[in-house]
Amino acid sequence: MALLSERDAWLVLGCAPGVGAGGFYGLLERFGSASAALRGAADGRLGGQRTARGMPLTGEAAAAVVEAAREPQRTLARLAALGLWSLLPLDADYPARLLVLDPPPPVLLGWGDAAVLHAARSVAVVGTRRPTPAGRLLATRVAGRLVEAGAVVVSGLAVGIDGAAHAAVVEREGRTVAVIGTGHAQPGPRAHRRLVEAIVAGGGVVLSELAPDAPATKGTFPRRNRIISALADAVLVIEAPLRSGALITARHGLEQGRLVLAAPGRPGDPWTAGCLALLRETPARPLVGLDELLVDLDYMGGEGGRVQASRGAAASLAAGAALALLADPERRVAERLRRGPASHDALVAATGLAPGVVAAALTLLQLRGWAHASGPVHLPAGPLLR
Amino acid sequence: MLATLVTAVVSGLRGELVRVEVDVAPGLPVCHIVGLPDAALSEARERVRAAIRNSGFEHPASRITVNLAPADRRKFGAAYDLAIGVGILVASGQVRPGGGPWALLGELSLSGSVQPVPGVLPMVATLARAGHRRVVVPLANVAEASLVEGVEVAGVESLGDAARLVAGPRGRRAARAEPRRPLSVSDGSGPPGALASRRLVGGIEPVDLAEVRGQPGARWALEVALVGSHNLLMVGPPGAGKTLLARAIPGLLPPLDDVEALEVTVIESVAGALADQAALRRERPFRAPHHTSSYAALVGGGPRLAPGEVTRAHLGVLFLDELAEFDRDVLDALRQPLEEGSVVVARASGEVRYPARIQLVAAMNPCRCGYFHDQQRRCTCVPGEPERYVRRVSGPLLDRLDIAMELGRVPPELLVGGPEPESSAVVALRVAAARTRSLARNGGVANARLAGADALRHAALGHRARSRLTDLAAAHGLSARGVHRLLRVARSIADLAGLDAVDEATVLAAAALRDPAAVGRPALAA
Repeated sequence: MALLSERDAWLVLGCAPGVGAGGFYGLLERFGSASAALRGAADGRLGGQRTARGMPLTGEAAAAVVEAAREPQRTLARLAALGLWSLLPLDADYPARLLVLDPPPPVLLGWGDAAVLHAARSVAVVGTRRPTPAGRLLATRVAGRLVEAGAVVVSGLAVGIDGAAHAAVVEREGRTVAVIGTGHAQPGPRAHRRLVEAIVAGGGVVLSELAPDAPATKGTFPRRNRIISALADAVLVIEAPLRSGALITARHGLEQGRLVLAAPGRPGDPWTAGCLALLRETPARPLVGLDELLVDLDYMGGEGGRVQASRGAAASLAAGAALALLADPERRVAERLRRGPASHDALVAATGLAPGVVAAALTLLQLRGWAHASGPVHLPAGPLLR
Repeated sequence: MLATLVTAVVSGLRGELVRVEVDVAPGLPVCHIVGLPDAALSEARERVRAAIRNSGFEHPASRITVNLAPADRRKFGAAYDLAIGVGILVASGQVRPGGGPWALLGELSLSGSVQPVPGVLPMVATLARAGHRRVVVPLANVAEASLVEGVEVAGVESLGDAARLVAGPRGRRAARAEPRRPLSVSDGSGPPGALASRRLVGGIEPVDLAEVRGQPGARWALEVALVGSHNLLMVGPPGAGKTLLARAIPGLLPPLDDVEALEVTVIESVAGALADQAALRRERPFRAPHHTSSYAALVGGGPRLAPGEVTRAHLGVLFLDELAEFDRDVLDALRQPLEEGSVVVARASGEVRYPARIQLVAAMNPCRCGYFHDQQRRCTCVPGEPERYVRRVSGPLLDRLDIAMELGRVPPELLVGGPEPESSAVVALRVAAARTRSLARNGGVANARLAGADALRHAALGHRARSRLTDLAAAHGLSARGVHRLLRVARSIADLAGLDAVDEATVLAAAALRDPAAVGRPALAA
């Protein structure tokens, strides 16, 4: 106990389940230091403890602090066992962007290269867990373009838009930050276990403010959304119904002074109703195109370096040249796919080709990486996206 | 006094000869049936007693012993009733056998009338092989029994009729011995695909393909599947037309040939579904059991050891709608018939192997609510649930499905407009031509059942097709089984297009017919 450094004490106290940022800073205020707070807890002096906001500390949280104070090494060993690094507001390399939060998370735990948290360009891409194929495609395109502009993509590792954005970054060998609403013992949904590995292997970060074994509760996901928006220069909402967590991220972003962009949808579409509400009721700006996005973000040229102003024209020239590489049936299918996602039957109707011929063309385009399937819908990819 | 008569029993799909020995001796009035009878057979005692009394005969008040030989085989069912009843009459001296030897099949009712029994066709065939060329059967089973050549078949309605037949020429006139009806009805000579009527086939009402609008891709996939007998899985939201397409299958299947027709007719006979039908079954079977079907209903077995749906679909199509809603055990039981073409029902007393060479056609929703991936309606499943739903169907079973495709909903403009769809008659002719071509080349084996080496040989791949196949195998990480499956499907596509060799475009098209998403291949991001 006496051997614990102030940083370790801070870490142990911050990881006590249920204490939260408010409880943590309340303890810090009363006892003067994390070490003193742990000693106080071990001596049974937590009575009448209040959080930084003046609320009484819950009985469970107080018990957790006492428990942590009695066996501080257990917390530290657990972090080491999972291979987690930690960042505390005391550390020089605590992400400066998070200082807009009041209070900033007392503890950040993560896997991967923490330098990504200091990237000059960082954009949050968020949206619904149940996107339409078009929404998923847009998330993929946006994320791909942000990688080309040298930006880090921040999102929440949920299935749907979040997953599509993370995966697109990983596939283009970019770097991405996944802020999870659980502890690292169960990082994100089960379906994304491979994605987690790919993000870390690609130099990205999987970040959480929660202790590794903290349970996911109703509040943890909305609360981590404030970290997603804070870590980014801008928040991009791709598809969000009216009661979407992505809207919480957007509102945090607005409060934190971040640029917020929403992809508009058709009036009356339920899965973009939240985006339209943002555009109507807040200073959020519409996402009208990938070039315009980079202009709004002021990401043209400069440090990202890989994007020129004339990118749009050059890219469509490349797509035209790419189409010229194809023989006839594939080219007709590719031309239709370039205009947007289509089912096999829609491609048959649009090209007038036999179903077997369309099927063969689709397989060829998939082999080239120019198309891929999402259920019955085929999506353009590669050069067909530009 | 002792009487010995001959009857038969069904074991699996074969008949087995059984001797019925009846001894009537002085003693306390009891009736013993020995020789491993089952419950239905033990009850024969009561049925026979009442039938004899109600037919104007006397049930002897003596010690009656009925032995069913061979004694070491368990006997099922009620087809022995008639032989036991006549045996008691003969042994008690009420009937004097003067009509020569008759083998007897039939169940007795208490009134003395004779009820039809299942499996008459294989039983009569067995009796004929054993040299018993005169057979008494229930009147309703006469047509079926007459399918066996060289046998004199007498149909009876009552115990009295049978007794008169056994008694000899004087009583013979009274029995209603049906003259042999000529074989007729459906001989498969009509245009294939022409649906005789709107009667139910295998539990569903057939439709004509002309009624299925849109879905050009799925229609094409169905054609390819029928050409090569490939197992087919259709995944799509409710209303996409999966069931409708499946209901068109009976009108697209080519008729059975002579050998196949006999096999199928025997199965129908044992299943008790042949009553009063005087011809071999020429229509290729199509069975559509409901997803609440039990293991025994699908595989066979049950207390009476009857063939299940997989056997009744032998040489035809087994259609399973709502595949993921079937019990897991039931689905896993399909693996054996899909691999071996037969199914084994094991009992403590031995096992029975039923033939079950089926083409499996299955349909399912992509998730519990059905609208995963749907463009118009929102899927109400929680994230992860659609994946779990697809996983209810085990990997090994999915692996047996040669063609798997996702169907989208038909856009409304196609439902009311769009090109007129082809009718079943047109498609059936095309399928039949391609099927004939493939069978002639493969030596009578359907494309789906070609061995790996044969699939490669019959594909006759050119240089470009071969290198494309290599690309695909690498890109999709195909196993040897995957490559062979792709080749077999490609062979059917080429047969449908009238091509001698599988070319590059055909290989590519075949790859598109097994949508990895439809068989639950994990993606990096959900």
